[in-house]
Amino acid sequence: MKVDRRTFLAGSLGLAAGAVATTLLEKPKHRVIRKQPWSRVAILRVESYSHNLENILHSGLELFHLDVRGKSVLLKPNLVDYIPGNHINTHPFLVSAAVECFRRLGAKSVLIGEGPGHQRDTELVLLESGFSEELRQLKVPFVDLNRDELVMTPLLATYTGMKHLWLPRTVFEADFVVSMPKVKTHHWSGITLSMKNMFGVVPGAKYGWPKNILHWKGIQESILDVCATVPVHFVIADAIVAMEGNGPLNGHPRPLNRIVLADDPVAADATCARLMGLDPTRITHIRIGAQFLGNASVERIDQVAEAVCAPANPFEVVLEFQHLRVTGSAQRDP
Amino acid sequence: MTISWFSPRTQRVHDTQQLNHACVQELIDRQLPEGGWSFTSDTKQSAVEPTALALLALRSNSARERDAAIRFLLHMQNANGSWPASSGDDGGGSGLTGLALYALNHCCAQGMVNNRAVHWLIEFRGWESHWLWKWKFRTSDRHVRFDPDKFGWPWMPETVSWVVPTAYSLLALKHVCGGSQEDLVQHRIRRGVEMLYDRVCPEGGWNAGNGVVYGFPLAPHADATALALLSLLSEPPNDFITVSLGWLERRAETCFAPWSLAWIILALDAFGRPTELLTDRLSSVVDPAVVNDCATLAIASLALGCAHGPNAFGVDP
Repeated sequence: MKVDRRTFLAGSLGLAAGAVATTLLEKPKHRVIRKQPWSRVAILRVESYSHNLENILHSGLELFHLDVRGKSVLLKPNLVDYIPGNHINTHPFLVSAAVECFRRLGAKSVLIGEGPGHQRDTELVLLESGFSEELRQLKVPFVDLNRDELVMTPLLATYTGMKHLWLPRTVFEADFVVSMPKVKTHHWSGITLSMKNMFGVVPGAKYGWPKNILHWKGIQESILDVCATVPVHFVIADAIVAMEGNGPLNGHPRPLNRIVLADDPVAADATCARLMGLDPTRITHIRIGAQFLGNASVERIDQVAEAVCAPANPFEVVLEFQHLRVTGSAQRDP
Repeated sequence: MTISWFSPRTQRVHDTQQLNHACVQELIDRQLPEGGWSFTSDTKQSAVEPTALALLALRSNSARERDAAIRFLLHMQNANGSWPASSGDDGGGSGLTGLALYALNHCCAQGMVNNRAVHWLIEFRGWESHWLWKWKFRTSDRHVRFDPDKFGWPWMPETVSWVVPTAYSLLALKHVCGGSQEDLVQHRIRRGVEMLYDRVCPEGGWNAGNGVVYGFPLAPHADATALALLSLLSEPPNDFITVSLGWLERRAETCFAPWSLAWIILALDAFGRPTELLTDRLSSVVDPAVVNDCATLAIASLALGCAHGPNAFGVDP
């Protein structure tokens, strides 16, 4: 290809601008360190969504020796919208299994909270996705985080440049926050896992539907600021049927037949990315999150239950995120 | 803390008038001492959306409560003429300004409040109207199909236009200055209407913002579609409206969620479509003592009320 001087100069300027932006983003801007020396991640095989999930999940939770006795537990699933046939949301069977498990572990209270980012009618999403029926049977309260009482909260990281966010009181009243993402690709952020799932605590009543200010301030930067400010104590990720392609709403179902448990959201997301055949070091919020929110490196992750097996065919992603796909990996599914 | 217990999916169909009285009484019981309403009965933080909808739902014989609600909304207005999302919020303004202005005007609270709010609505616009972002959306960022020359109103400053705040703003501007020939007002109304037509979903109806993203058609939302249609009520009949009404009628057949169902009823009623069966269904899923969300209770009351009286959003200026 012949490159003239004008193209060369324009390309050089573009590269320089990109390098400056990357340098600025990578510069530490956090006032909190949540990273522990080691993190633990468990990958559990699950054949399908069924009420047997409770036993599998309980055996997985035992690997972590969690002490939630007397604590209030907030489960934060990923509920975005309801489109018949699309695997958009964390499955209600997994959420109800988590409710039962944390009750069995002695939690003082268990409640479910979510602020859907797309659909204003949260009750419609709950009704049509089958959540209402599960919640009613379990007699578990649900908090619409979009419409909860708001507290002005100083941000503990400032990658977005924002000083504070108004956040729901419920999130800060919980002793133990569990992020329960649906494992999906995402057309704006590459992937949406336990860290991106925490966008759901940002209230629509203040920031709108969708929470567009987080997009304009930078999705990767916003994920870091929100996760620095709202601690995630545990992760239960739904990868039984994941989503690839044009997620988070209109991708294709991709069965992985796994759930992923972790005591660290960065470790959880790095592991899920590897399960998807994507390189976590190329995902900005995981790479920077590994500086202060958790561990992304396999050397720092105590992998229990199943080992990480990258799929022979990495998850499909939209054009802008093709660079995330790992090809020619040594680890392959049998 | 906001805790929702879910109403049974079907229960005895109440007499709609009695049920509406019960909804209004429940709203009165939940009114906060300062005159506003919070989203849910277990919090004390007044918010503009439930307050404005509750004000619309109160009857003229609830004069004391209406006066308190009006005073509260007037007190909440920011210095720049906008309204915040809730008490304690910063003064930059929110996409609920149109709803607050509409509710106050509907209750004949006019005067200075109008001028400042209208001025703010004329000035407030989605960021896609800015030349820099317009250029970005035309050149490098083309995954969302829309025309940035056609802009509406955002949820908050420094973001792009979305359907619900645009519909609320159009309702207010058309109601307050519908007859005005002032160029600025008419220009702003036209851009907002054009934005709604530009972003309609391929199958009709409206999603939160755009109809096509990454070449993929988005599914419409019932509440956003109903609100958009209400804001277009005075527009000449056209295919966008006809197709969207058809989509809304089909969606209504399987909708049991009170918030969406109530908005559907209000929109279909405003366009003269039959709503009796839907009103019966709404009666069967709304129990005022159980519906924890005050905004939902208020919109349900407004939907039940239009079976026997005027439609609060059925104004055709």
